[in-house]
Parts: sequence; C-alpha cells; structure tokens
Amino acid sequence: MRVGIEVGGTFTDLVAIADGRVTVLKVPSTPKSPDIGAFNALAESGIPIPSITELAHGSTVATNAVLERKGFPTAFVTTAGFRDILALQRHGRSRIYDLAYHQPPAVVDRRSSFEVSGRILADGSVLTALDLAAAERDLVPALAAGGYRAIAICLLNAYVNPAHEQALKALIRAHLPGVHVTVSSDVTREFREFERASTVTLSAYVQPVMDGYIARFAERLKEHGFAGRFSVMQSNGGRVPGEAMRENAVTALLSGPAAGVTGAARQVARSGYGNLITLDIGGTSTDVCVVADGRPQLTNEFMIDGLPVRIPVVDINTVGAGGGSIIWVDEGGMLRVGPHSAGADPGPACYGRGGTVPTITDAHVVRRTMRADAFLGGRMRIDADAARTALAPIAERFGMSIEEAADAAVRVATANIVRAIQLISTERGHDPRDYVLVPYGGAGPLHAADVARDLGIRTIVVPPSAGIISAYGLLASDFSQFDSRTLRAAVDDTAPAVVRETFDAMRERAVARARSLGLDGELALEFTADMRFVGQAFEVPVPLPLDSLATLTAADLRARFGAAHQKVYHFGAASDRPVEIVSFRLGLIAPQEDAPRLSEPSGTAGEDRAIELYTDRAWRQGTLLSRGSLVPGRSVTGPALLDDSTSTLLLPDAWRAERDAADNLILTRETRDA
Amino acid sequence: MLERLGTSATGEALDPVDHAVISQALIAAAREMGVKLVRSAYSTIIREAQDASACLFDAEGNVVAQAELIPMQLGPMSEIFRSCAAAFPVERLVDGDFYITNDPYSGGQHLQDVFIYSPIFLDGVLIGFSGTVAHHLDLGGGNPGLTPDAADVHAEGLIIPPTRYSFARDWDDGGGLQRLVAANIRVPHQTIGDFNAQFAANAIGADRLRELFRRYGTATVRRSMAELLDYSERRARAAITAIPDGVYTGEDAVDDDGLSDTPLAVRATVTVAGDTISVDYTGTCAQVRRNLNCPFASTISAALSAIKSALTSADIPFNEGLKRPIRITAPKGSLLNPHYPAPVRARMEAGYRAYNAVLKALAQVVPEKVIAGGNDTTHVTSVSHLEDNRYKVYLEIYGGGWGATVGRDGGDGIDSALSNCTNTPVEATDMDFDHFRIVGYGLIPDSCGHGRQRGGLGLYRRFEILKDGVNFAIYADRFRLAPYGLFGGTEGERARCEVVRDGRVITVRSKDTLELMKGDILTLYTAGGGGYGPAAERSGEAIAADIAQGYVTEAAARAAYGRTG
Repeated sequence: MRVGIEVGGTFTDLVAIADGRVTVLKVPSTPKSPDIGAFNALAESGIPIPSITELAHGSTVATNAVLERKGFPTAFVTTAGFRDILALQRHGRSRIYDLAYHQPPAVVDRRSSFEVSGRILADGSVLTALDLAAAERDLVPALAAGGYRAIAICLLNAYVNPAHEQALKALIRAHLPGVHVTVSSDVTREFREFERASTVTLSAYVQPVMDGYIARFAERLKEHGFAGRFSVMQSNGGRVPGEAMRENAVTALLSGPAAGVTGAARQVARSGYGNLITLDIGGTSTDVCVVADGRPQLTNEFMIDGLPVRIPVVDINTVGAGGGSIIWVDEGGMLRVGPHSAGADPGPACYGRGGTVPTITDAHVVRRTMRADAFLGGRMRIDADAARTALAPIAERFGMSIEEAADAAVRVATANIVRAIQLISTERGHDPRDYVLVPYGGAGPLHAADVARDLGIRTIVVPPSAGIISAYGLLASDFSQFDSRTLRAAVDDTAPAVVRETFDAMRERAVARARSLGLDGELALEFTADMRFVGQAFEVPVPLPLDSLATLTAADLRARFGAAHQKVYHFGAASDRPVEIVSFRLGLIAPQEDAPRLSEPSGTAGEDRAIELYTDRAWRQGTLLSRGSLVPGRSVTGPALLDDSTSTLLLPDAWRAERDAADNLILTRETRDA
Repeated sequence: MLERLGTSATGEALDPVDHAVISQALIAAAREMGVKLVRSAYSTIIREAQDASACLFDAEGNVVAQAELIPMQLGPMSEIFRSCAAAFPVERLVDGDFYITNDPYSGGQHLQDVFIYSPIFLDGVLIGFSGTVAHHLDLGGGNPGLTPDAADVHAEGLIIPPTRYSFARDWDDGGGLQRLVAANIRVPHQTIGDFNAQFAANAIGADRLRELFRRYGTATVRRSMAELLDYSERRARAAITAIPDGVYTGEDAVDDDGLSDTPLAVRATVTVAGDTISVDYTGTCAQVRRNLNCPFASTISAALSAIKSALTSADIPFNEGLKRPIRITAPKGSLLNPHYPAPVRARMEAGYRAYNAVLKALAQVVPEKVIAGGNDTTHVTSVSHLEDNRYKVYLEIYGGGWGATVGRDGGDGIDSALSNCTNTPVEATDMDFDHFRIVGYGLIPDSCGHGRQRGGLGLYRRFEILKDGVNFAIYADRFRLAPYGLFGGTEGERARCEVVRDGRVITVRSKDTLELMKGDILTLYTAGGGGYGPAAERSGEAIAADIAQGYVTEAAARAAYGRTG
C-alpha cells in the first residue's frame, strides 16, 4: 500500500494506491497542528498503518511559518560593515507612487543581526582572515544571550569560497549545541549578497519548525507500527527522504503546488503528452506552470512574502483568481475580479454564511455551471438566490442581465488566468499553442476550456480525481536533489574541459550524497550551464545533454547559448560578443520504478440528465453526467457538465470529451470557426 | 476572428470584458519590455540599478501603458516623443525606423537619458509605438560619468537631437550612428550593449502589440487604448474633485549651485478648481551657471509624480489621460525651465524641490495625504579610473530616509520618490572593479526626524580606494538644508560626504570632484526623513522598539521624546 498525504490550507487530501486500486479522500485540515489532520485522514481511510510500504507527505508547514512569522527566533551573521543587508535589501520600491512604502519585512530583525571580521574577495582569495577569536569572545555569547534557535550565516563572496562560513559554523556549533546553524554556501552558491542572505535566513528560520514537524510525524508513524519509507516533497517537484528534509527545510517552501504539477505531469504522460501547461484553480488563487518534455520548468527566482529565495523551484506563477475572488467595479468603472478573496468565512454569498459581495463561485452558481446540489458531493447547502442578489448591482451598473454580468465576470477571471500563463510561457519563449492544458484543483476543470480558447490551445487533458492531484503527485514524484556552483569561465577553447571537469566533480558529490540517503538503483542526471554575454548580469540557463559532453566544443556552447538567449530576449543568436558561463547546476533524479497510476475510481457512473446552463453570453441546453459514465469508447459534446467527487468539468459548446486508456479525459475543440 | 472584426467595425460600445482584457495586456506588455531591458543590459547602472523605463504608445504618441520603473523618466515620455514627431513627421515613418533623442532643449531631460521610440506597423498600418529610456553610463563630456563643473550642456556629453534613423541602415551591425556614438563615449562596449537592450525591448513591445491587434482587431484595440486614457482621466478628475478648491503655495530650496552658498529657491502655486489642478512655478529662482538646472520635461515629471502619489489611488494606470486635468507651467529662464545652453546633468535636485514644493502646498489642504520631507535627493557618485587606456566607470545612486506620513514612520534607506534605482550588490562591484572596494553599507541610527511618526533613517556607503588617481565626482543635496518635518515633527539629519586620508578628514561638498589616492576611505551619508506630528504623541512601544532595534539610541530618544518607552 502506498499513501500520499497532502496538507493544504483548507483540506487534507489522501490518495492510497494498492494493486491498481485507488482510494481518494478529503478531510478538513487542522492548521494549528497539520499532522493531526494527516492522521485523521489515515484513520478515516481505514488503512492499517503497518500495511503502508511507502508514505509521501507534503504540507504548508514551512510556508505558513514564513507567512505568519511563526518560526523560531533566528539570528543573522554577516561580514563586518554589512549588518543591515536584510533591512536595506535592494533599495528600490515595488510600488513607485506609494508614499508610505516600506521594504517587505525580513524574518530576522536588526537587533538579531551580527557581524564578524574577515573578508574574502571575488576570486576566492582571502583579504582578511576570519577573526575566530573575536567571534568566540563577542559573537558566541551574544548569540547565546539572545536565545536563538537558528542562526543564518551569509558572508561576502562565500559563494566562491565557503571557508570562512564553514569555520564559523563549526565554531558556533561547538559552543551552542542544539542550535541550527545554516550557512549560505550550503544553500545556494550564487552571487548577490542580499538575495543569498535572504535565502539562508529563510532557510534557517523554517529549519527548526520543519525539523520538529518531520521528527514528530515520523515518530508518530513509528508508534503506529509504520515500517515503510517516509518521504517529503520539495519545491523542485521531487521528493527527499524525511531525514534529508530535516537538514534543508527551505526546499519545502513551495512543495504543495510543486506536487500538483508533478502529479499532473506523470498522469498525463500516460496519455503520451509531455508538453503541458498546468492549471490549478483553488478557492483563493490559481497556480500555473509549464512542463516541457515531461519536466516541470524550474526557476531560481522565487519570492515568498516579497523576500527572494534563490533555490531551484518549480516555476509556478500564482495569481489571485479563485472561486472566492471578489467581483467588483473600480472607481473608473472597470469590471474587476480579485485579487481580494472572500476567503472561507464568510465566503461566497451563495454559502449563506453572511457574505454579500459577489464572487466567482456565485457567478458560476448564477450561470448554473456549478450546480447548487453538487457542492462537496451535496453535503453543503447553496443559496442560489443570494448569489443573484450579490451580482445584481454589477449587472445594473453595466446595464446587463444578472446572467450576463456573471458571464462577464467569469471571462474577466479567465483573462487574469490567461495573463498569468503568458507570463511563464510567451514571456519565457514557449508558445502555448504547442502545449496541452491540464486543469486540476477544485475549479481548474471549470475554467479550462475558456482559458484554452484564449491561448489557442486545442487539447485539454483532465486527469481523474482532478481535485486531489497534489496528493497523487507526492506518490508519483521521483526523488531528486539539486546542486549549483558559481564558476565563471569564458566560452573559448578551454571551456569544454572546464564543463567536463565540473560535471564530473558535481556528479561525484551528488551521487555520494544520494547513496548516503539510501537512494539505491539507477540515477538520472541533468546538467545546465547558466550563461550570458560578458558584461550582462542575468544568465540564461542552457541545458547540456550528457551525451553531448564528450564531444562538446566552444562553438557548440555558443550556439546553444545563442539559441536560448534569442528565445527569451528576441536577439543574441547572431551576436559575436564574448560569452561566459557563470554557474552550473546539476539535478540528480532517482526515478521511481513502477510509479503508481491514478485511475478512475470505480462505481461513479450515473444517469445523464438534461440541464440548462449559461455560457458564452447565452442560455444553452446541455447534459449533466458523472465522469464515471464517460466510459472508453463513448464521447460527449458540449455544452455539458461532468462531475466527480473532487471537481466539476465544464465542456462548452464546440468541445468534445472522451476517456482514453489511461483514464484521462481528452477534450478537443472542433475547428468549425476556421 | 472575422466575425469579431466585423462587430467591432460597426462602432458598437466597447465590450467591458474585451476592454478589461486588452488594458491588462497592454500594461503587461510594457512591464515585460522593462524587465527584458534591464535583464539583457550590460552596465551596472541599468542591469543592477535598473535606471531605465519602458512604455507603449498609441499611434498618436500618447503613453497608454508603462513599466513602473523610474517616475522621473516616465512623466514626459509623450512630450519627448512629440519633439521627435515635430522633427520628422510620423506619416513618413516606415517599418524599421526609430526616433532617438537625449536633447534637454528639445524636450529631453539630461544627456545620459536616451529616449528611443520604435513605430509599430501591422499590415503596413501604424498601430502604435514602443519606447524605452535608459540612463547611459557615460555619453562623453568633460569627465567620466558626470561633469560637475560643466559650463554648458555641450560640456556634459554628446547631444543627439530628435532624429529619425533606420535600425538596419544606421545602427545594426556597425551602422553609422552606432559608430558615431561609440567613438564619442568612454565605455562603448557596455554602452552600445545597453542601447541594443533598448532596441530589443522595443521589438518585444512591438510583437506584443501586434499580437493584440491581430487578436482583437484594430478598431477594438484602438478604442480600448482610448478608453484606457479616458479611464485614468476620469479617476484623476474624481480624485481632484474631492479636494477643496483654492490656491495653495509651497516652497523649498536646493542647497546651492556648487559655486556659492546661496540656496536655490523653488516656489509652487497649486490651484485646485473643480476637477482640474494647476501648478505654476513662478517665483522660482533664475537658472544657474552649474548643472543644477532642471529642463522643463523634468519639472513636469516631478510635479506629476507629486500629484499622482499624493492625490490618486495607486492602481490608476499612469498614462496620458491622467495628465489631462493637470497643467504645469514654469517661467522660461528659471531653474525649472532653463534657456539653452545651461548645463542640466544634476536636474534631479531641483526636480525634487519642485516635487517637495507641491507636497508642501498640498499639506495645507490634505494633510493626511502628504509626506514630510525626506532625503528627497538623488545623490549620484561616479568613481572612475583610467588604466591601460581603458576606462572603468562606477555610477551609484543613493536614496535615504523617507518622510513620515500620517499613519506610518518613514521608510528606512530606500531610493527617493522620483527615482527607483536598486543598489549595486557589493559582490558585483567586487567582481567588476579593482580600483575601489566597498567596506561598509548600512543604516545611520539617529538620522531620522522625530514626531508621532518618525522619519526614515538615512544610509551610508563606505569605500576603500585601491589605486592612486581615482576620479571621484558627486552631485548631491540636503547637505545644507535639512529635510523638513510636518505638523510638529522635527527635521531629519542632513546628508554629508567625507574622505579620510592619513587620519585627516577632507569634507566633500555636495557638488564636487576630486582625485582620490590609494588608502583613502570615502563615505557618503544620506539624509534622514522628517517626522510627522508632535513628538509627545509618539507611542511608548514605538520608542522602545526603535531603541531595541538600534534605530534610535537611548540618548537621542531622551532628547527627542523625554522618555525611552
């Protein structure tokens, strides 16, 4: 029995797979102690814990610790003269006309920021030795007196030479056992001191929280007789054994959305699709991501709460558009949706909990694209009149019917989502028309066809149990780890040797680490060079296929870089300016043998029903059917709604749906408007 | 698609959904231009400090959407466009042409800000323009980076009058204009790369606009662009209507012109009448002999920024429509509208006083919307060196403490309102320059003004000079006249700059140039923000927290508040 448990903000999802049989289950989350919700889900599933061979877990514990500032007291230590790095940040403003602007607050305050003497230069040479005696005399007592549970160290130029950071770490550990010490060069090896300091500080801040959480979880599993493998999700879309996460907690910050992307990529790959755009629409926000050749695209430029985190994470773009997003008209008379959300309480007007402002969920209820009797499988009562009342002022403002206003709001929400997708596709040089759209989450399948139409996407693939795909992603994901190294090298005749030597050294280190974590079997490697024209400051990632390394030439490197630069910036392929490599990244993946499949749960077939629904500016006659009744060989043409216990799929006019052998629904648009 | 075009052409009202979608797409396209310009640039002033901006225009040259980068550069993007269009008619442009200018006396700002506009054609029809401006590291002139003692604009660098060129013929692949520019500047390798980043960003804006026109049809997008301007105008007028009619005046001053000790007074008369507002700078001092003169385009930008920030809500898109109810005038020959050929390199300082004077006038009528005086200065330093016949130029722009507002302490160590430059990471200067090393960078405790809300703290940056013969040039302000407090709040600390050489302190003036020697320690301290409201009303918790965090010392708290909590 393999079990994935994903703890989200509102619900905790469980997926259990044994011998091809899939069980899915949703229970309310318990935000104060997320592990309680996880064990509640296990209890409700009736699965005997000793029968579980593999348990994969994802949670929002690290993310919430940052967003709610619930980490443990953390100190920051840096090079003398630079104590205020975390406060000054990059000196700019994200809102240029805001007179009351402040920088996003760091997780470590000024009184907890300390300095040490010693300076390393950009070439790695030591200008001034680290003053360990002074650190022992002044810094260590100050850290002890502050009662810090975690210490983040970021020294200037440590990305090229970590010696001072490592020496300081050893000193502090020797004097303050039990305190978590995290150094920047162990977390990210990239230049720009503020971004690196921010990354290591966030890492240190969540470290004790994650360490305690994972330890408690593992302990409790053991008490219940668990003897299987326990693993935890990372933000890069891969898993690590629970033990490894206790050492590198920052990689958990974006793990929930990353699990969803991985789950979707795996499930859809069974239908033969490798290039996809994922669309996860929840209650308050939408997450979108590009997957190319089966691999979620990664980025190194992730922000949480306005603070940079420089580690590879799945390149997910989040926009404030979800079921709870508020529909409003601004002072200038423009129809707007979000980013504010009615949240869970009072929630949309139709929930009947006192909410009066219209939301996207209310708009769906008015359009009857969400059925009042289908919320949470009919367990929740919906007040359709309240939804109409809430939308009436908007309708009046634009001289529309209430249905027209609801439809207009859904289209505006769709446009916001389309923008979010363009940011990670068109702007990164990916043409969305070359991709299939994969919706999931509670409301993803409801908006997918509209989003696809606006992007020119002709195929949508909807996985089974689309509402719990993140929990499945935990089980379907590979074990992975990433390593980076800043190493500037000119792209000339010496470069191929540098590339090969670096690859060999990084591979050796990564493989040794993987084996020490108990990852046996075959390991796959991915190698990327971050390159730029000499003088530029931002690099373009250039993947270097392993089979190209042996015969690599400087000309190959230039050509690969030129093509990558051209794709993003629309110039560079023909340039003869000198090129350099700035850093290398190595991804190590331990592929899952026999990854479990997600199949259509059995016993979900039901009778079809004729319904009326409002889409694309008109009432239309359509069909309501349960997803289970769309058996292989049968196809249905829109307008139609397809329900399963986890989400509702809207199939508009001109779209056709079929279930394929992998149990995915394939939606295609008929090309009659050509 | 055909059907969509057909319905639009009938002149039906703009669909509110189409409009919401198109306007968001325009703003997104401008933002993408800005991001890609910065990320593909070469000099630290653009790639790290982000001293560049980008806009999309309609076919008449009105700004419809901008990347929110540098307020000073963005304000007059349309005015500068018009001077180009006056020199070469829009109707005669063909695909592949571009307009370029940096001429302060033809609508430009200062020579380093080079404006480039590319017409966008679809099926042979002009549909709009993409435009970018970037601050270039060095455009020639008497001294690398900046020339504090320039007697006229010619001594400040290469002047590019508003002109039409062809990208393929005149720029790309070693074209004539590129060669001319490269021959007249000190760091051509980086600077030409930065120009190329501007052209590339313009091309991206053009691609995005063409996609929108193809998708929604010419008529619909045109109407949506027009509606976006009307929309900003409506919202601006609504905001202005909420302010009581009247005539309000405000005054501030630049420390001096770098030659004498006389402050350069700037006076604003703000007249609110119904849904319009006008700002007149009559009463401002005459233009000066040094580079403190502020070209009129910069004056417009400064006044607009003050009005936009204080009076309108942040989510009103800044475009030509927003400017319609606003009228700005300044007497010709004054500091804020100088005659050719007065030098203008340091125009930001007078620009800031033009901004402050408007806010001081508005303080009389909307005290809850304005801000106390802050660092409100662009301190610019150039640390350059010539070695092996090659220049290395390092420009940095520094903000400081912001003034306090009615509900919040001022921001600490942030770039000032008309600018929005980020700092150059110390690890980047360590990598790129060997004639100096940054040895300190931090906040200055006790530099704030006090009050119910305190001002923000100034910042310092300290350099160790590593070679003899390093050229240092600076223009700065608030060295003499401190940032003002409001409604009982006290003044912030003034800015200063000093060099320590062999144990002796050499005081650097706010507009100065000097040769530095190996071993010199150079430090710039920027100003702190003024306080808002009486100190007696500051909460004990806020005072105690400032002391605990080391923002304010105990002694300073006692002096300002008579208590430490």
